Amino acid sequence: MVTQESRTYKLAKAAILAVLIAITPATPSLRAQGAPAAAKTQEDPLTAQYNKTMVEIDKKQFPAALKNLDDLEKKVANMPPAMQATVCFHRARTFYLMKDWAKADAELNTFLTKYPEGTGKVIDENDNMRGVAQLTLVEVYANQSKWDPALDLLKMLRTNPLVQPKDRVNAYTLSARVVEEKSKSGSEADKKTALGQAVGLLKQATAGGLGTPEAREGGMRLVEVYTKLGLVKEAEQLKAEIDAKGTGSPAEIVRSNFQRIEIGDARFEAGENASEQKDKDELYRQALASYQGALRRATVNRSVTKAVEMKQADLDKIVKDNPKPTPEATEKIEKARAELENFKTIQSDFEKNKDYDAFISYRIGLCLLELKRPWEAFVAFRDIFENNPNFSKVSGAYYYYILALREIGRNSEAQAKCKEFLSKYPDAEEVSMVAVILGSISQDREEFEEAIGHYNWAKANVKKIDPATLEEIDFRIACCHFAHVDWEKARLALDDFLKKYQRSFAKEQAMYMSALCWFYQGKYKETKAGFDEYQKTYPKGEFLADVRYRQAIVKFGVNPPEIPATIALCNDWLRDYAVSKVDSIVNQIPEVHTLIGDAEIRLATELDKDIATADKNLRTNAEPALKAKYKAEKERFEKEKEAHTVKAIDAYIAAARSGRTNANALDFVLRELGKLLPGRGEHARMRDLYKEVYDWDHADPKSLNYLYEVIKSTERMGDKPEFAQQADAVQKRFSAQLAAARKKVDDLVKTDGKPADVAAAKAAVAKLSAELAAELEVVEKARQASILAAKTEALGILSSAVAESINDRKQEGSEKLILFLAEKLARKVKRLKPGATIDPNAYSAANAEEEITKLLRLEENKDSLIAQARGFFAKGQLAAFLRDPAKTDTYFKKISANYKAEELSPTILAIVGDHMLSKGETKNSEGYFQYIMEHHRSSEYADYGFAGLAEIRLGQKKYKEALELCAEAIDNGVVMSKEKDIRFIKARALAETQRYDEAKKEFEEIAKTKEWKGETTAGCLYWLGVMEERQGHHAEAVAYYRRTYQAWKKYEVWSAKAYLGAARLFATKLDQKKDAKDLITEMLSKERIKDTPEAAEARSLSTKL
Amino acid sequence: MRPAVRFLLTAALLCAGAHSFGQALIFKGGERWEVNDPFKLDNSVPPKPVNDPKKGTISSLKGTVVRTVNSGGTDIESTRKLSEVERIIWPPMDKLAEAQLFVSRGEPSKALDSVEPIIKFFDAFKKTPGSLWLKASMVKLDALDRLENDAVIGAFLDNLEKNDDGSNPELGTKIKLARLMQRARRGEHDTVITEAADLITKLDDPDVLARLHLVKGSSLLATKKYEAAMNTYLRVPVFYGSQAEHLPKALLGAARAFRGMDSPATKEQRLEEISNRYLRDLIATYPVSKEAEEAKKLLPKEDRLAAEAEAAKIKDAAVIPEATAKPDAPKADNANNNEANK
Repeated sequence: MVTQESRTYKLAKAAILAVLIAITPATPSLRAQGAPAAAKTQEDPLTAQYNKTMVEIDKKQFPAALKNLDDLEKKVANMPPAMQATVCFHRARTFYLMKDWAKADAELNTFLTKYPEGTGKVIDENDNMRGVAQLTLVEVYANQSKWDPALDLLKMLRTNPLVQPKDRVNAYTLSARVVEEKSKSGSEADKKTALGQAVGLLKQATAGGLGTPEAREGGMRLVEVYTKLGLVKEAEQLKAEIDAKGTGSPAEIVRSNFQRIEIGDARFEAGENASEQKDKDELYRQALASYQGALRRATVNRSVTKAVEMKQADLDKIVKDNPKPTPEATEKIEKARAELENFKTIQSDFEKNKDYDAFISYRIGLCLLELKRPWEAFVAFRDIFENNPNFSKVSGAYYYYILALREIGRNSEAQAKCKEFLSKYPDAEEVSMVAVILGSISQDREEFEEAIGHYNWAKANVKKIDPATLEEIDFRIACCHFAHVDWEKARLALDDFLKKYQRSFAKEQAMYMSALCWFYQGKYKETKAGFDEYQKTYPKGEFLADVRYRQAIVKFGVNPPEIPATIALCNDWLRDYAVSKVDSIVNQIPEVHTLIGDAEIRLATELDKDIATADKNLRTNAEPALKAKYKAEKERFEKEKEAHTVKAIDAYIAAARSGRTNANALDFVLRELGKLLPGRGEHARMRDLYKEVYDWDHADPKSLNYLYEVIKSTERMGDKPEFAQQADAVQKRFSAQLAAARKKVDDLVKTDGKPADVAAAKAAVAKLSAELAAELEVVEKARQASILAAKTEALGILSSAVAESINDRKQEGSEKLILFLAEKLARKVKRLKPGATIDPNAYSAANAEEEITKLLRLEENKDSLIAQARGFFAKGQLAAFLRDPAKTDTYFKKISANYKAEELSPTILAIVGDHMLSKGETKNSEGYFQYIMEHHRSSEYADYGFAGLAEIRLGQKKYKEALELCAEAIDNGVVMSKEKDIRFIKARALAETQRYDEAKKEFEEIAKTKEWKGETTAGCLYWLGVMEERQGHHAEAVAYYRRTYQAWKKYEVWSAKAYLGAARLFATKLDQKKDAKDLITEMLSKERIKDTPEAAEARSLSTKL
Repeated sequence: MRPAVRFLLTAALLCAGAHSFGQALIFKGGERWEVNDPFKLDNSVPPKPVNDPKKGTISSLKGTVVRTVNSGGTDIESTRKLSEVERIIWPPMDKLAEAQLFVSRGEPSKALDSVEPIIKFFDAFKKTPGSLWLKASMVKLDALDRLENDAVIGAFLDNLEKNDDGSNPELGTKIKLARLMQRARRGEHDTVITEAADLITKLDDPDVLARLHLVKGSSLLATKKYEAAMNTYLRVPVFYGSQAEHLPKALLGAARAFRGMDSPATKEQRLEEISNRYLRDLIATYPVSKEAEEAKKLLPKEDRLAAEAEAAKIKDAAVIPEATAKPDAPKADNANNNEANK
């Protein structure tokens, strides 16, 4: 009986059946049937020989045992049949143990046919061994694949009322096994039918309950059959019942454990086959629970060892208690010894199975991956590398570990593992898949050169890549060149690919891409040839839509361009594909519209030359008829141009409106429209278009740009072209009158007209001018009103956008909009020079504040904490734009005083926290910074948290904590705009902890960084001086102080400290009191320094000099 | 029937008997005495311990058990020493489960109130197989750990160590674990990490292993080794998922570790969101645990409110509607009848 199960499992399963024959007790003595055992005090020679034979069988000295049995057979020839049967039975047993199935078969048949009473009471008072012999014969038949006689015999055993109940139960169990074994060579349907029959038989075996070991054996078998049939619930329920009735024997523990794993496997398999995701998840969860419930190797080992120890103790006790064993005691001893041996076999077999724990981790990892819990899967697979690096399936573990790494977004680590895998396990079956993963990670990240490198590395280093993977890699390399816009290399790679893999799955795509390479190189002739070939080979090809579009571009790209043909091809394309739902085609629709737009613009531009010629002719021909002709010609060309321009605009707009999924096309047409529409004064069209695009997705990172454009266009809409036209008309209307009036004045002056007439003529000019100005003012007023209305409308749009997200704390873009709004309103406030008179009607800071309150709709959002906080933030920022720091402070303080950190967005937490810290208020800012560190570590304001908290700790003289915070920020890359501050805090903390060398390095690094030149540089120089001073290097300290106050005068905080430091050193350490006094005089002469605390200290020092 | 089978069946019957009869003491020689459970109370006000006169009554103070047997119509009282007990059969105790629940909920004082009498009761036969003394002591240790009172824990551990003669390896292991937890509280994180890692390789009890991972994880977290902390904490749900009582701590620790791992460089991994997901799972799965309360504090406000609403829903669903919980009001007919009867 060959099964595919592990040896441990097989042993555990076979335990009971094997024990049936192997440990069948040897008779204590070959005494006469029914003779009282106690009467035999002295062992007779026959019994001695018999016992010796039994020992030989136990010691597996089979030839000697058989020889003795032959001899015994002769000696018992005249004895009762039970004695002869006993010898026959043991001979059969010996052949069985020797696995000589044919001889065992013959001997057992002899025993069963020749001795209908079996061994009588010789071996066991209650068992004549016929049942055992029959069951063993079944086993022997099964080992010879004699299924039918085995089943016949079992049927007989099952139905024979004389058969002992335990043997009947065993017969049912064995029948089930034989039925199953018999079906193994049959079809799948046969196997399933056999399993069904097995269930029926095993149910009979367990019908009387699970109280006996035989019934439990049948039950365990039934669990396995249920599991195979996918009846996991039934299997688990029955298993629980068996476990509850179990004796805790090692065989049961091992077996129960493996069954649990098998049930898990069945559930996992069912999960894989389930169609609904919900069912899948449930089954994977159940499988996971089964695997998690499986005992670990150490626990199983401990149980088995304990059981072996107990068995050993039992045996030792029996042996000790029976120094001269009676036959009954010998029976007990032999039985205990056999059981001990059996347990030891299980133990040693389990110990050999080193992969046990790793297999459990592996299975757990798989379940977790399927349950979309990649972090836990990552931990499960990692456990294998850490604790079972020699796991036989370690290559599989690597593969799934790599998948888990990809799932959790650790791509670089995944690639490192791929390489490690490929070099460690070049012969593993997953090698090809891993080789592809290695490059595909880079490819997915659009790092194409790196991907090509990885693919080539895999090709060069992995020896066992299968041809299909090699083909895939070659194609991927070509795709990478293509995506990397390296057209020549891509084309060559594709052409090579087409030559090498003529029946490739990717042939069509490669052919198409090869032509595209020509296309992108601007080689239209070759492109056309390539696409023509494609269209011929694949008239209904996957890429036909794109090929047709490219053919249109080729028409447009040739010299001279075939524009009408281009437009015709585009229109044909739109006719065929405009309503398509295929993503790639939907993506291309804006491109086709754009091409039409480009073609129309080209047609319009080509007319410029004709218009210029007509214009020139118009200007150079004075003859009215010719003039009229050229004028008409010019107007016709201009009209024609206008028609093309209008068509182009329409096409671009159509492109933009269909460009939601094609960002490149959208950007291009928006840019083109940005050049065309505003020049034509079509701001409303521009605004409507941007509004439409903005409304697609307000959360889109580009949505703010679209919103700005909406606002800009709206503002421009106020300055309508009709105002210019009106002004122009007024100017025109007055210019002739004014010219005539001025001419009249000139004439009168030239002809020395009467002064009164001259004065009257001049007055007429003045009157006309005044009328002109008045009319122009009317137009201008209307224009200004219109602009103001448009600006108000724009602010309204901005306000709506802000209001949309003002209640959502997580919308970080909201603060950006608020800043934009505050800046716009601040610009409305006219800045006055000091002393200038304030116009009471002018738009003031108060108006701006009122307006921002209105625009943010703060009244409407009274109940929203974040909206109100954003209101204070907006007012604070408005004040900052209006250069009113006191007001900014007031509003930021309101936020700080009234809001918990969790009620604010990261931007507000960071900016307000930073502001409060700069004011020395650490209580609330600490909470804000802490919150950023806990909740917004990946936000763009994360470093504010670290920098702020570290600064506070530094101030509290908790230098170690400050250093830890800085190290954490730097080590984890949480350093953006606050990097300089974090490094400066770190350097100061190092200095305070006397780690001068490290601190010096850090200060010097900051000081020499160009981008950070400024106040921190001054601080670094000062601190370098402080460190030298603390180390007793006074001259060096003075040098640093001097550099500070000389080079960085404008940073009074540091220069004052540096002055004082140097003066103090001159006075106290360097014995240069005069220099000290001079330096203090110089220091106090500085306007910025004279009122600092250091100045006061310097004055005091000066008096002592 | 073969003797082995007979023995197995007898053992099975014994086990079945033990389960159905409740607590019992097995003396040397195999004599079995059913005994009263002093923690089982009746419905009287105030409740009194249920006392079955046929069963033995244990006096921990005297170290004896007394039983009255009726023999031939005469009550015979017999007394045996608890030191003669070879094995104890004691079904799971509600009070102990209750104490464990108090610990989980973050109510260590109540847990101590529940567990102290159990420890005291089993003190006389603490080392006898089947005694609940060790289990109760572990619950007490958990409660003391929650109280974070190192002085009391120290004294308790000293006492435990005195009682550890090496005969119960489990006790020794648990003392080691408790000492490790003490050291972690004292901030000796590097030592804790090394020792926990060492113990993890040597032990196989899932409960102790889960605890060791929690201690190691917390020290790794304290030393800002976030990645290692995450890996350690997550091993609890991954490999010791059946140790439900430890899962809240593990999930909370993992969530904190993910927070620590979060940085602009790892933004793609969306670690803040992953951390929040673990916190939400914790609140939903273990709503009454102390860790769920901690998790709520860590969650952003919106998520916290949503989680609380979700938890409230679960709570509401679990409450039996008042109308169905109340007994039926007496019917008018009965009232009349009663009146008439008067």
